[in-house]
Amino acid sequence: MGFDQQNYDINGIDTAVLTAGTGDPLVFLHGAGTVTGFDALLPLAGRYRLIVPLHPGFGASADDPSVDSVHDYRRHYLDLLDRLEIQRSVLIGHSMGGYLAASLAIDNSERISRLVLASPIGLKVPEHPTVDLFTIPPAELGGYLTQKPSIFDGFIPDPPTPEFLADQYRELTSAARLLWESPYDRKLDKWLHRVRMPTLLLWGEADQLIPIGQCAQWANRLPNAEQHILPGVGHLLFDESPDAVDAVLRFVGEPVPA
Amino acid sequence: MNVFDDIQFYLFNHHHYIDIPQDADSYHSTWVDFPNSLYNPERGHELYQRYTRELLLAEELGFDAIALNEHHNTTYSMMPAVSVRAAYLAALTKRVKMLVAGTPVNLSWPSRVAEEYAMLDVLSGGRMEYGFPLGTGMEYWSNATSINPASSRARFREALDIVFRAWEQNGPTRYDGDFYTYRYLNTWPKPMQRPRPKGYIVGSGSSETVNLAVESGCGYSIVFTPIKNQLRAFENFRSLAEERGRTVGPDDLIFTVIAYVGDTDEEAERECRPHVENFFEWFHRVPPKYLSPPGYVSRDEYLRRASSAALADASRATWDDMVSIGRIACGSADTVADMIAHWAEEAGTSRILVTLQHGDMPEWKAVKNMTKFASEVIPRIRARASTAASAPASTAQQTAVEV
Repeated sequence: MGFDQQNYDINGIDTAVLTAGTGDPLVFLHGAGTVTGFDALLPLAGRYRLIVPLHPGFGASADDPSVDSVHDYRRHYLDLLDRLEIQRSVLIGHSMGGYLAASLAIDNSERISRLVLASPIGLKVPEHPTVDLFTIPPAELGGYLTQKPSIFDGFIPDPPTPEFLADQYRELTSAARLLWESPYDRKLDKWLHRVRMPTLLLWGEADQLIPIGQCAQWANRLPNAEQHILPGVGHLLFDESPDAVDAVLRFVGEPVPA
Repeated sequence: MNVFDDIQFYLFNHHHYIDIPQDADSYHSTWVDFPNSLYNPERGHELYQRYTRELLLAEELGFDAIALNEHHNTTYSMMPAVSVRAAYLAALTKRVKMLVAGTPVNLSWPSRVAEEYAMLDVLSGGRMEYGFPLGTGMEYWSNATSINPASSRARFREALDIVFRAWEQNGPTRYDGDFYTYRYLNTWPKPMQRPRPKGYIVGSGSSETVNLAVESGCGYSIVFTPIKNQLRAFENFRSLAEERGRTVGPDDLIFTVIAYVGDTDEEAERECRPHVENFFEWFHRVPPKYLSPPGYVSRDEYLRRASSAALADASRATWDDMVSIGRIACGSADTVADMIAHWAEEAGTSRILVTLQHGDMPEWKAVKNMTKFASEVIPRIRARASTAASAPASTAQQTAVEV
């Protein structure tokens, strides 16, 4: 099974949406890069209608420089969910997408039945600071992203071509619109109590970018969260370990409260 | 009439922190993260004094202007607050114009820039010209992250608009922009030169910056790049200006030249080459990441840069490369005068900005180079004026003897 891609004009932004499978909708918000693709998520499509929209300025979605805040993203995805006629769904957010998913869950909890936050950014935990993505030397980036460098095989040309580098630069630019000023949302902590739906915190224990130490802070603030830690796994947990998808399947397979 | 009738020479000095450490090879960059534990304030003081001597000599030698610029977190430049340096020099000079080029207006409060530069114009008795740059990519790594490189061009455009309104309009006025709101824009002082001093937008050749210069009624000055890139940008400026019905004068474009003058071509190369080489190899040592923070250029411009080895790593250029692509005019007075005169004619510009102190060049060589340039090159170029007045040349000759 593979993804189908369809593009939608969402308030002027040509938005690419990957879908696979049928069933109840399960929406995945990706992180600050799309280089390894999303095939690792396909086991979720065995039981659900898996929907992976590409953020503005990422992959096959068009750029929109005016999308530069978490609320722009949130409203963009509310528009998309309306367009797809999805009133309520499971929402999964990874890394930067975890921050966006948390924001949606804070403000629009009626649209989300269950929430998965996979190594999310956004929370400021002074004892366990997020590594600043923008200051990592390019040659060292892989080591921060994963404990299993082979996940990049076939995705990164060796040596990297100018086209490849330019595509990465474009996605980093789109991430910078949201994150350049700070990798934290200083008010996120204040509002996480509003995320009342069942929530799974999924984290790689060996995450070098967003330390596992942050997980406890999220768990403390979220009223209805459970944790699942993946030993030996880094930041790109879905690419690194099938256990990540299995944990999601177990979590969403539980009876959903009315 | 030709471009030589009103030709003017601007002496630019980089203000390098000149000392190159023994373990130079171990540093990947002399910008942004080059450790400031290597900065010695006593040495810094000596160097400020040295560069002051060179710039005051420029006035004595008959240069028309001195030029300064601004960079941050780097051994390349000791002028992170260029208006401070310009104020110091305004007090010590009497005749020369000062091109202050300049504070990236989007990296400061635009009202603050308007105030500082108006102060400089009034303090100097109307001798200030400005050159506002977008700022290199490195400045965005070195300043507060509240200035996002992904919106830097839009912010630059707005900041420039505010500076010009502050200078030209009678305040108080209100300004409601996308980035800045002023309830009372009412700058004291206003510049002495009305409606505003002569000024330039400083760019590296991108169409967007050239376009902004044309739109804002400014001239255009290009950073030190190969001659053909400068000519291409000037051509672009002229055609955009023509589309808008704007007349371009020969003083609207500043041509930048790295030069060294010897008694012979061979002597010039022998004396100059090691310093120009470390100028590029050491002082220009910047990883691509710092040159292009995310959003600073478009994907297409990034692709163009990533596709060109020379652009991707300027510090690897060889001496022969630099000579062949016209990054440097080095040789006898005849050689250098011919090259610069040819380029000025081709560019149609009467404003020549020269740098005569390169890399770790010692003071004696810089002074010798300046003196020979003023006494031997400038007169040769001025002699090409249709009016062929000789007065400035003889002044320069006289002073050179005194030095």
